[in-house]
Amino acid sequence: MPELPELDPVIHGKLRLAVLSLLIGVEKADFAWLKEKTGSTDGNLGAQMLKLEEAGYVAMEKRFAGRKPQTLYRMTPSGRKAMAAYVAALKTLLGGAL
Amino acid sequence: MAHSDQDEGSTRNDLLQRVALMETMMAEGRRTTTRYGWLFLMWGLLYFVGMGWTLLLPMPNLAWPVCISVGIALVVVRSWQKREGASQTVRSRSVEAVWEGMGIAAVLFTVGGVLGGHGGQPIFIAAILFMVGMAHGISALILRWGMQGVAAGVWWVCGVGACFATTSQEIVGLFLTASLFGMVLFGLYAMVLERRHSAAPVQHHA
Repeated sequence: MPELPELDPVIHGKLRLAVLSLLIGVEKADFAWLKEKTGSTDGNLGAQMLKLEEAGYVAMEKRFAGRKPQTLYRMTPSGRKAMAAYVAALKTLLGGAL
Repeated sequence: MAHSDQDEGSTRNDLLQRVALMETMMAEGRRTTTRYGWLFLMWGLLYFVGMGWTLLLPMPNLAWPVCISVGIALVVVRSWQKREGASQTVRSRSVEAVWEGMGIAAVLFTVGGVLGGHGGQPIFIAAILFMVGMAHGISALILRWGMQGVAAGVWWVCGVGACFATTSQEIVGLFLTASLFGMVLFGLYAMVLERRHSAAPVQHHA
C-alpha cells in the first residue's frame, strides 16, 4: 500500500491556511485587510504571520500610507510551492472528494 | 472566527473543512476592495462644472485648469490616505495604470492643444472623447465588464459624432452626453454595485 503524504504543519493551521489562500489571489495585502477577512485578532494573526515568515512562505514589508504605518505581506515563491504541495497532498488524502 | 494553532485535525471531515476554507478565502482574495465608482461620478460632475463655467461664468479660461486641478488633487489626497484593509491584485493595478496613462495623456493633450490654439476644434474634442472611450474599453476587457463596455461605446459614438459636428453647440452636446452616460450614470451604477458587494456577508469558518 502506498504511503500517505504528510500535510505541511505550517500550512495546515486554519488561520495560516486562510491567510495563504487569501495571499494567493493578490500581489500583496496589508495586515488590517488580512485581519478583517479572517476575522482574527491582532495578537493571533501577528503570531501566525511570524510563523509563516519564519518558514519563508510570506515576506513582510513596512511602509507608510499617508501618515499611517502599514504592514504589507506577499506570498513568496517557496510559499506558492509549499501551497501547491499541500493541495496535492490533500488531493491524495481525500481521493475523489476533490 | 476563532482560529487556533492547535487546531491540527486530520480526519476526513477536517480535511474537507480545510478545502472549503481555502475556496472561500481564495474567492475573498480575488474580490477587489478598490472602489472606483466615486471617481467616475466625480470626473463626470467636474466635466459638467467645467463646461458650465466655460459657457456661463466669468473668466472661462480658468474653468478647465481649475476643474482638472481639483480632480487631480482629490484623487491624490484619496490615494495618499489609502485605506486600511488594502490589497492589490494584478487586475486592479492594470486598471489603475490604464486610467493613469489616459489621464496624463489627456492633460498633456489638452494643455498642448489649448496653448497651440486648437482647443475649440471639433477634432480636438473628438480625440479626447476617443481617449476616454479607450480607457473605458480597455478596463472593460480587463474586468470583462459589459456595462463598462457600454460606457466605452457611448464615448466612442460621441467621438465619431464630434468628427462630423459643425457647431459648438453640437460639440458641447456630445461632450455632455458622453459625460452624463459614460461617467456620471456609470459612476452611480458602479457605486451601487460596490455597495451591494460590500454588504454581502463574508462566510467565516470556525
